[in-house]
Amino acid sequence: MNLQLITLLGVKVDQEVYEVILPTADGEIAVFPGHEPLVTLAVPGAIAVRYKKGDDALEYFAITGGVIEISQTALRVLVDEADHGEDIIEAESQAALERALEMRDNAQDQVELEKAHQLVDRHSVRLKVAGLRRRHRR
Amino acid sequence: MASTQQLKSRIRSVKSTKQITKAMQLVAASKMRRAQEADKASAPYTKAANELLTYLASQGVTKNHPLFTSHVSIDSRLLIVIASDKGLAGAYNSNVMKLYTRELKSDDDEGIKNMTISVGRRATQFVTRLKDTEIIGAYEDLPDHPAGAELRSILDTARDKFEAGEVDAVDIIYTEFVNSMTQTAKIQRVMPAGYEVTSVSDSVRDAEFEPNLETVLEGVAYRLVGAQIFQALLDARASEWSMRMLAMKNATDNASDLVDDLTLEMNKARQGAITQELAEISGGVEALND
Repeated sequence: MNLQLITLLGVKVDQEVYEVILPTADGEIAVFPGHEPLVTLAVPGAIAVRYKKGDDALEYFAITGGVIEISQTALRVLVDEADHGEDIIEAESQAALERALEMRDNAQDQVELEKAHQLVDRHSVRLKVAGLRRRHRR
Repeated sequence: MASTQQLKSRIRSVKSTKQITKAMQLVAASKMRRAQEADKASAPYTKAANELLTYLASQGVTKNHPLFTSHVSIDSRLLIVIASDKGLAGAYNSNVMKLYTRELKSDDDEGIKNMTISVGRRATQFVTRLKDTEIIGAYEDLPDHPAGAELRSILDTARDKFEAGEVDAVDIIYTEFVNSMTQTAKIQRVMPAGYEVTSVSDSVRDAEFEPNLETVLEGVAYRLVGAQIFQALLDARASEWSMRMLAMKNATDNASDLVDDLTLEMNKARQGAITQELAEISGGVEALND
């Protein structure tokens, strides 16, 4: 089936894949070719892609939420941000997460707190994806 | 007439200015190209969101959604003004401000309360000087692709105000990038949300919506409005760079003309000085012979 990962900055992925694991509000769902048509929302997390049947390697993308559109032959995901696991530098994400946590603890008002929460979410997802990739390499 | 020395130093200074404007022109040209590409890249996203919304609207769920509900009368509105951080971009900023002032005036005439979010230092400087609007957000030094926190923060502010009923409409004032020769200041309504009606593919029509249509609508609508604001930001940026490029090209041309004029004047002055010297020498020789 064809996977399209569309962000505001352009189409990130547009190619044939075998399996995609997506984070949704009810937990992760794995989609194979021939899936029932389904439209649902993605939550912040990691999208895992297996390109060919029998492949051991999964490729990860960190996303911050989006809309998933599944048909029998195609899968279209509209996401706010999608970062390829390999583009994420773990140390940077770690530092960013710590900054975000600090910001959350020192937040003066609701607006700041909200912003800090978003940042914490974003960076913990990125860090998780970076971690997944490392485990995978070993 | 100025001395040759003075003219020479003026030519030198104009030439170095020309080098700077030439460099700025080239930088603007490459930035414009990149901004134009980014402008096009967001099209698939908007298209997909439009398709989903068309279907959802046909199912009637948009009727009850606060983002799609037109308020009975418009008593207050929020304007998002997008201008640049820096000057030297020709009429870019003044065109936007002219349109903004006109909108403010028409609001004033009709007794509509007004709030503003400004994007770009020039816009902020302008808006803070006015007294008939309340500034509720100011953004400066946005990155080239403001898709992350900045966009969300503008979007959330606008949505909170709209859904709470504090404003009855949200308009965005930006410069539309028609092509590299034409850019026009434009006002566009983003809330209540609108979408382009497109054809709906069968896969969407057959699809199950989980957990339900309303929740999915919430996610799609929010993203479509975000995409519209994002598009405006990118358009504004592409326009800014192409107007800056033109302004710098004109400056470079003017500098070239000025150098030509000054060179001519310098040569005249030099020739004049030589002629005078010769006259003096021959006058001296004449005097000796007498």
